[in-house]
Amino acid sequence: MEFKDYYQVLGVDKTAAIPDIKKAYRKLARRYHPDISKEPDAALRMQEINEAKAVLTDPEKRAAYDQLGERYHAGQEFHPPPDWDAGFEFSGSGFEDVDLGEFSDFFANLFGHTGRGTGPRGHQGYQMRGGDRHARIFVDLEDAYQGATRVVTLHVPQTDAQGRVSLHEHELKVHIPKGIKEGQHIRLAGQGHPGVGGGEPGDLYLELHFTPTPDYRVEGKDVFATLRVAPWEAALGAAIDVPTPSGQVHLKIPKGSQGGRKLRLKGRGIPGSAPGDLYFILEVVLPPANTDKARQFYEAMARDMPFNPRQTR
Amino acid sequence: MTEKNTVNGELLDETSLSLEEFARACAVKRQWVVERIESGMLGDGTRYASQWRFTSRDLTRARRLRQMEFDFEADPELAALVADLFEEVDRLRARLRAAGLDPR
Repeated sequence: MEFKDYYQVLGVDKTAAIPDIKKAYRKLARRYHPDISKEPDAALRMQEINEAKAVLTDPEKRAAYDQLGERYHAGQEFHPPPDWDAGFEFSGSGFEDVDLGEFSDFFANLFGHTGRGTGPRGHQGYQMRGGDRHARIFVDLEDAYQGATRVVTLHVPQTDAQGRVSLHEHELKVHIPKGIKEGQHIRLAGQGHPGVGGGEPGDLYLELHFTPTPDYRVEGKDVFATLRVAPWEAALGAAIDVPTPSGQVHLKIPKGSQGGRKLRLKGRGIPGSAPGDLYFILEVVLPPANTDKARQFYEAMARDMPFNPRQTR
Repeated sequence: MTEKNTVNGELLDETSLSLEEFARACAVKRQWVVERIESGMLGDGTRYASQWRFTSRDLTRARRLRQMEFDFEADPELAALVADLFEEVDRLRARLRAAGLDPR
């Protein structure tokens, strides 16, 4: 485990006052906000700055951390010395208000007293339900049609015999029911943080998103796809086999279709009590004029079919 | 250390959350939720607290409100305005994607 320099993470001086630390935090939180950031490591950076703020804006934890920090620098191999926090009494023992699973091993080791249940700063005779957790997962659109099972890996704080906390990987096989929509949540009862002193565990909320694919786009329960057709299929009409998320269909292209025309397959969007629709948007693709024969066809069309697309409405 | 379990979840919107469950899921006190419903920042405008039920959309919105208020120390009305704008951006991005344009 590496030592984390929280001052460096927030870009503040070791003597910075709390208002300055909060200001530096807000500046970075805006930059790495998950809803707007385009930075590839935004989630990781957000975790780091949340962690740094949680420690540096709490006078008790900051004092304990500062004492430790005198002997370490960023990136240095680090093992917390026994009773490193002796002499510091943390109000409320640990962090009830933050999700330890969303923080680093380093943080969990130093401050992860939540859930210890025994020991000098434990919760003897005290019972509390574990906190709820949140995670975001990506599933394929096909999973919304058929349902699926996905393995989700979570980092769960665990306490050893000495009362130190570290993060362990916990794999959950989760059934994804059919009919899910973008942004919808699944609640997994009892899969959140463990309770304290025999209290019930919290719940886990999974926020579902579809893995982006070039084949389909989703808006609510409706699904959109581009269907490439030949000019004669669009002009003369055709019946063609096309793949859909629920399997292949035989689709009739009405004669006289133009590029951009929307064909609706009612009820073939995301399933449910009120299923969505599937839309195919036609894209007319021209064959290349790269052989003598093809060029002759185009020349014959130009000669025999007086047509100016700029005058056509 | 790795453990494996198979679990079935409940799909929110098919079941919805009570006030108690919702407050817990957002890591806030019940009163925080009540105040935001009463001032029209959350919920569907249902008047009676006993009828309040919360959906996936409410959960996403409330967690955004909480983040704005706690992380940026934003005034609740300002947090609600930011959440409104995020929701509008989400809607526009979905429409762009549906039209075959990548909003990113």
